[in-house]
Amino acid sequence: MPARTSRPTPLQRPDRPYLALGLEGSANKLGAGIIKHAKDGSSTVLSNIRHTYITPPGEGFQPRDTALHHRKWIMDVIKDALQKAGVSIHDLDCICYTKGPGMGAPLQSVALVARTLSQLYGKPLVGVNHCVGHIEMGREITGAQNPVVLYVSGGNTQIIAYSRQCYRIFGETLDIAVGNCLDRFARVINLSNDPSPGYNIEQEAKKGKRLVPLPYTTKGMDVSLSGILTSTEAYTQDKRFRLDGAESDSEDVVTPADLCFSLQETIFSMLVEITERAMAHIGSKEVLIVGGVGCNERLQEMMGIMAKERGGQVFATDERFCIDNGIMIAQAGLLAFRMGHCTDLADSTCTQRFRTDQVHVAWRA
Amino acid sequence: MSSASSNLIASAELISQGAEAKVYKAQIHSDTVPILVKHRFRKGYRHPTLDASLTRSRVAGEARALLKCLRAGVNVPGIRMVDATEGILGIEWIEGTCVRKLLPGAEAETELSDADTAPFTGVDALMGLIGTEIAKMHLADIIHGDLTTSNMILESSQSLRLVLIDFGLSYHSGLVEDKAVDLYVLERAFASTHPDSEPMFSSVLKAYEVRMGKHWTSVSKRLDDVRLRGRKRSMVG
Repeated sequence: MPARTSRPTPLQRPDRPYLALGLEGSANKLGAGIIKHAKDGSSTVLSNIRHTYITPPGEGFQPRDTALHHRKWIMDVIKDALQKAGVSIHDLDCICYTKGPGMGAPLQSVALVARTLSQLYGKPLVGVNHCVGHIEMGREITGAQNPVVLYVSGGNTQIIAYSRQCYRIFGETLDIAVGNCLDRFARVINLSNDPSPGYNIEQEAKKGKRLVPLPYTTKGMDVSLSGILTSTEAYTQDKRFRLDGAESDSEDVVTPADLCFSLQETIFSMLVEITERAMAHIGSKEVLIVGGVGCNERLQEMMGIMAKERGGQVFATDERFCIDNGIMIAQAGLLAFRMGHCTDLADSTCTQRFRTDQVHVAWRA
Repeated sequence: MSSASSNLIASAELISQGAEAKVYKAQIHSDTVPILVKHRFRKGYRHPTLDASLTRSRVAGEARALLKCLRAGVNVPGIRMVDATEGILGIEWIEGTCVRKLLPGAEAETELSDADTAPFTGVDALMGLIGTEIAKMHLADIIHGDLTTSNMILESSQSLRLVLIDFGLSYHSGLVEDKAVDLYVLERAFASTHPDSEPMFSSVLKAYEVRMGKHWTSVSKRLDDVRLRGRKRSMVG
């Protein structure tokens, strides 16, 4: 896999402007976005609206309640997206929705709305793989050509590289995802879920000073994270642990900030290490970080240092595009649509298990 | 830092930079055969404490694994020097071609000369060598930890000899689980670097099976489990 392919792209310039609506609701974020592909080949984000289901500290989001949240808010979110974009639903070329992977109930509640809109207005449907949505949006925003992709979110941890019309998974987590690991630890030390548990861990970690020993579990290009979570949790039962974070000169103490710091340093080192290994393996110098955890500035910083040491470059986006959103579904869906791909009503199902490498990436050379 | 090891590095010729380390060709004495020096340099992104302890344990671990392999008769480079604190490991220089470059699919960045491919008799024979070597290593309870086609060298001598390299992530384990995961890592590396590699990997397994003998059944069963594990992973988010 050379860094740049010399083959021509199969994606033709559009003969007219194209508009797509993207609907996303695979986890606790509900999003709607409208993207425009202009005749000169450029894309514009017309609107990108999100509504997040936030649970009290110490609790995660349950599929049923999340689906109820999406059901309650989706009409508002879609109306808002159309209004902000200043387009009518009649102007759309297609309606894109997340087919998977994700939580069943929330996925279904959003897919149902997508199907209904498609029938009401006679618009074609496009089912989109959530992970491919993240990658395509990241490429579009950053302009990265053929990067190694680190996809890190609440439910996914994968190292991905493109080869022969497929996003191949080089490494992934063997158990829980990195976002899940951080979120669950946030619950253990009772951090707020607003705006997101991961963000609050990141802020807490900035105050941490002490690196406690944790397992370092890379397996080839894969990582295992569940044991690290257990070990970190075990420190909260340690007699040196002080939940109030009070430091003491006379005593040897471990604070929640220290644990957040140690957890981040250890996990991110592992992620950067396997990313570096994938880059060395396929000879790429670009790395793109996508997914909710990709907002973490410490992860971006560590990745930046690694890329610089290798003479490469790191691409990352901010929370508008890192965290789940509708616009990325619209982007990936519209690319597929322009290649002639549509999802028939009978096939417009969703699936909780939909691997990144199952998608035929028809729009790339 | 001014130690014997750093002086050695200073006078050595940098060959490549992998993910883990910088690799040099060095000479301990001017009239002796060259050695390969692997320097695990400091990783700027990693916390210094974490970096130092990882480097130390990985150099020591690599040396230990190589020694065990040598004793068990697995084809690996011999050890020439170890400096764990500095992150330096000196091993025997192996002349040959990386297996990855011998197989279809890897980018044809360097055209292979006839000399490079001379002992190369066919993909099947090569796969057999790989399977046998891995089985020998697993019988000695060494887990490589990073089996890829980049980490195997076909020696360019008269006899057909495959050498396993880069034991940076290796460890000692008798568990069937670890051996199965080791094979799974290789399978995935094959699939991602060499398109349409299924028949190649099955020849590797065939040779592995022969060499493993009665231990094969349990590893094979576990390998099937491990494969499912990767696929079944639910991907929420």
